[in-house]
Amino acid sequence: MNWESHLSDEELLLAADGELSAARAAKAAVHLEHCWSCRARRQELEGAVADFVRTYRDELSEPVAPVAGPKALLRARLAELAAVRRPWWRRGDALPNWRYAAVACLVAGIVAAGYALGTLRVRTAHAPRSGVVLPEPRLTPGAVVRIGREQVCEADLPKNHMVPVALQRRVFEEYGIRDPRTDAYEVDYLITPALGGADDIRNLWPQAYASTVWNAEVKDALEDRMRDLVCRGDLNLAVAQQEIASDWIAAYKKYFHTERPIEPGRFP
Amino acid sequence: MPDRAIPSACVALERRSEGRCRVEEDVVVLFERTRDRLLRYSMSLGLSAHDGEEVIQEVFLALFRHLQRGRPQTNLNAWLFQVTHNLALKRREGDRRKQQTLAELSAAAPNPQARDNPEDQLLDRQRRVRLSSVWRALPEQDRQCLALRAEGLTYREIAAVLGVSLGGVSGSLARSIARFARAARR
Repeated sequence: MNWESHLSDEELLLAADGELSAARAAKAAVHLEHCWSCRARRQELEGAVADFVRTYRDELSEPVAPVAGPKALLRARLAELAAVRRPWWRRGDALPNWRYAAVACLVAGIVAAGYALGTLRVRTAHAPRSGVVLPEPRLTPGAVVRIGREQVCEADLPKNHMVPVALQRRVFEEYGIRDPRTDAYEVDYLITPALGGADDIRNLWPQAYASTVWNAEVKDALEDRMRDLVCRGDLNLAVAQQEIASDWIAAYKKYFHTERPIEPGRFP
Repeated sequence: MPDRAIPSACVALERRSEGRCRVEEDVVVLFERTRDRLLRYSMSLGLSAHDGEEVIQEVFLALFRHLQRGRPQTNLNAWLFQVTHNLALKRREGDRRKQQTLAELSAAAPNPQARDNPEDQLLDRQRRVRLSSVWRALPEQDRQCLALRAEGLTYREIAAVLGVSLGGVSGSLARSIARFARAARR
């Protein structure tokens, strides 16, 4: 760029945006001092920048809401993320890659039958004043991926990855939970991926956290126990999936031979 | 100019290892500073405010994991825009029916700030419609360049977000601004 030659639109814009190197900026400044037409053009471009900024704001389809609400939501989600590190299938994380290869299939029919027989009693008996102890079978019948015992027992644990926020929100919406507190609920798998559960809204429900007796940690213990039994060959995988989906509390009582959850650290 | 650095020294590795640090707090502070700009940018890509908010929540959860793993913190500003750009386009692709290439209505609506006489109002409205049609007629990448510049990014940052060269950015911006200048003169 010679100081005598006129500046292009691009150079004028680069100069106005402070994007020219020091040497080029100095030359441009000298030229602008001398050249009325370049100064007029610069002014036109500045006017167009102002027009654009106004258009850009006008074109937004909705006004930007105050930051406070989204900030509170983020804070709650971060608190949840930063909380106790739990195994990947317990944190509402995504499934291993083999889920892509496998076809998600419903076990709703079997589940509904089991549920009708045994669950309602338990559900009423253990339902907390607030929160969800058992999933609603209509909303969360359970869904599994079509894999066998070997794959379940030999699957490598994949890298962590959140259940998409949008999916979590849909689960909360389905359950009519407005403004969910993430320290109160965990969007949990009904049939754990460790037992072949699918990453599917039909297999996700908002489980109340620590405030209830039959909470997420108790269910985790059951899942561990059942996976051990399945992998040892003492329990059929399909039966395990069915039992956990139809009434996990009943399954807990059955496999731990107890009416109450066993305190952590006291598992036999 | 936007902040380039993480808001506190909190995420520095040595402090984190002392256990005194809360990466969450840093993420929240950054969220407070940049959310409006990121939201506007994702809306300029055609997302609704609701979808934009969700994308930005995901962006900051990703930032949290990024920082927790001790990944580079150089120019988080550009990083945030880049992840927003990618996730917003992905969402838009995945949900075409929600796509709104920015309200036709707003261009036709009278400017509430124009309190001049009816003739001036008409002129102002015509001008706004003209400018709006310039904006919508721009190729998508030129719109993205402009929107990122409007949100305060440097040319280098824009180039990184969009994966184009520096010259590509300055050429695109100059072309687009010249179009706005022509539309204003008409």
